[in-house]
Amino acid sequence: MTPARRAARTGLVSVIAVTALLPLAFLIALSVSAEWFYPSLLPRRWTVENWNVLRGESAAIGRALSMSVALALGTGGITAIAGLVAGREIARLDGWRRRIAVALAFLPVAVPPLALSIGLQYSVLRAGFGGRLGGVLFAHIVPALGYTTIFFIGIFAVFDWKVEDEARSLGAGPRDVLIRVTIPLLRRPLVEAFALGFLVSWAQVPLTLLIGQGLVSTLPLELMSYVSAGQDHLAATAGLILTIPPMVLLVMAGLAVRRLRVVVP
Amino acid sequence: MGVRFGDEAALRNVTLDVARRERFVLIGPSGAGKTTLLRAVAGFVSPGSGEIRVAGRDVIALPPERRDAVYMHQTPVLFPHLTVFENVAFPLRVRRSSEGEVRERAGLALEAMQMGEYANRVPRTLSGGQRHRVALARAIVGRPPLLLLDEPFSALDPALKRDVREALLAAHSQYDPGLVVVTHDFNDAAGIADRIGVLIDGEIAQIAAPSELFARPATLGVARFLNIANEIQGRSDGTGHFSSPLGSLRVGAGLPAGPAVAVFGPAAVRVGSVGGIAARIVEVRAYHDHSTLMLSTSAGTIEAACPAGNAYCVGSDTTIVLDAAKVVVFSAPL
Repeated sequence: MTPARRAARTGLVSVIAVTALLPLAFLIALSVSAEWFYPSLLPRRWTVENWNVLRGESAAIGRALSMSVALALGTGGITAIAGLVAGREIARLDGWRRRIAVALAFLPVAVPPLALSIGLQYSVLRAGFGGRLGGVLFAHIVPALGYTTIFFIGIFAVFDWKVEDEARSLGAGPRDVLIRVTIPLLRRPLVEAFALGFLVSWAQVPLTLLIGQGLVSTLPLELMSYVSAGQDHLAATAGLILTIPPMVLLVMAGLAVRRLRVVVP
Repeated sequence: MGVRFGDEAALRNVTLDVARRERFVLIGPSGAGKTTLLRAVAGFVSPGSGEIRVAGRDVIALPPERRDAVYMHQTPVLFPHLTVFENVAFPLRVRRSSEGEVRERAGLALEAMQMGEYANRVPRTLSGGQRHRVALARAIVGRPPLLLLDEPFSALDPALKRDVREALLAAHSQYDPGLVVVTHDFNDAAGIADRIGVLIDGEIAQIAAPSELFARPATLGVARFLNIANEIQGRSDGTGHFSSPLGSLRVGAGLPAGPAVAVFGPAAVRVGSVGGIAARIVEVRAYHDHSTLMLSTSAGTIEAACPAGNAYCVGSDTTIVLDAAKVVVFSAPL
């Protein structure tokens, strides 16, 4: 590599690092400060008071965090398994059936979130699940399942079906094949799909807002309320809290993936 | 049984019986339907017509897992997330066998394949031959009445092929399943088969013991597929005689008068016989146990086999005589 290319590469990596880390650094500073006015480069006072939103009687963020974690774990778990099953079935289709099934899987992903929210709001509210955790969970699952299904269609496109055929010939029924062979073989994509479903739910705003009807409060909704109220320091604290679980999840998923060998046959 | 893929018939009126303990080998050109036949019996291809019985039980409507016919792919497909022992135990686990039975039978199957000491290894650490042995142990551990092997010897080097063949014969002798093996190698077929079936264009053209098949192919198509070296054109007089530029042969009655083709292997040609037909040696191929001569005759080039050790000179003249008992004559195709 020439020195010029090395310098260009170093510069590019530095720009990416700075643009990614600078907002995070600003959030951290904002969450542990008070009285930080323009044009001061640093706050006049440092404090951890903003973090009290996590505890105490008015622990709205703490409750919202619990709700978000529950929704994201549920969405990730359900859509990882359901996406595997759906992706597997679609990948085994031929011709026009496959094209239609793939298009249907893409639909909740391709439709703008707001349009999807309005469509889902009508059906979920009619079913009597408006303002309930179950209704919001269902609403989060719809787009997340689209993503995980598409993800698994790609996985099964390169899957060697001989391994399932061999298992069936050895006496394993469809359920045994799935539980004893396919799922263990696809542990790594399952971890990745879980992370995908988790993240789709974690950052979800319009669906939670419309289906939850203000009765189901998640961290992104709390964050938005702080922003709209001009409570910048609390918004920064909520923003940081919103950032931490996905970071932890990604690190854990990365570690798990590294431990699980690539075993797609 | 018949199988169609769209408008195309992959198998037509195939009728085949394989007895328990029998070793049946299916050969045929590429695209003849050998794998389709195996997969239809195993339950992975739906026959459009006919019936399939395994151990007397009609299985045509049953899914693969309930057919008692274990199908093995060309390359061993071991489950990479399971140890060697758990791979072999798999058929017993899915049948919900007791732990004691699993331990005993899987252990015995591994020992039968001389793989007992590898029980705790994972498949990726095994050599090619060991993988085949584990796959065989897993196939037989449930004592299936029928074992279907699709090209088990292809893409193996000679030493590994011998190893896998020995393992297969050992598995067969200890567990006695009916064995159906697809191969395209005549030596492999002759080496393990009690009977050989030749499948050509989706139809069974002949079923015979190996010695019978190579000596008396039933049709010209079978003879050509078996790559029998020599083919000469002539005429049948309708009374059991075949005449060609190589002379007249008595070949048995039954052949109608008209154009005919005589097919024979190198062993049917005796070289240097007194009173034979003139021939010239155009090529000599020396092998460790015999020599093959390419002879120019009035009927074209003939291949003859001779014992090793004799000296033959390219360009020298000699004579040949055909052994009528080793010649098969068919009506010439129109």
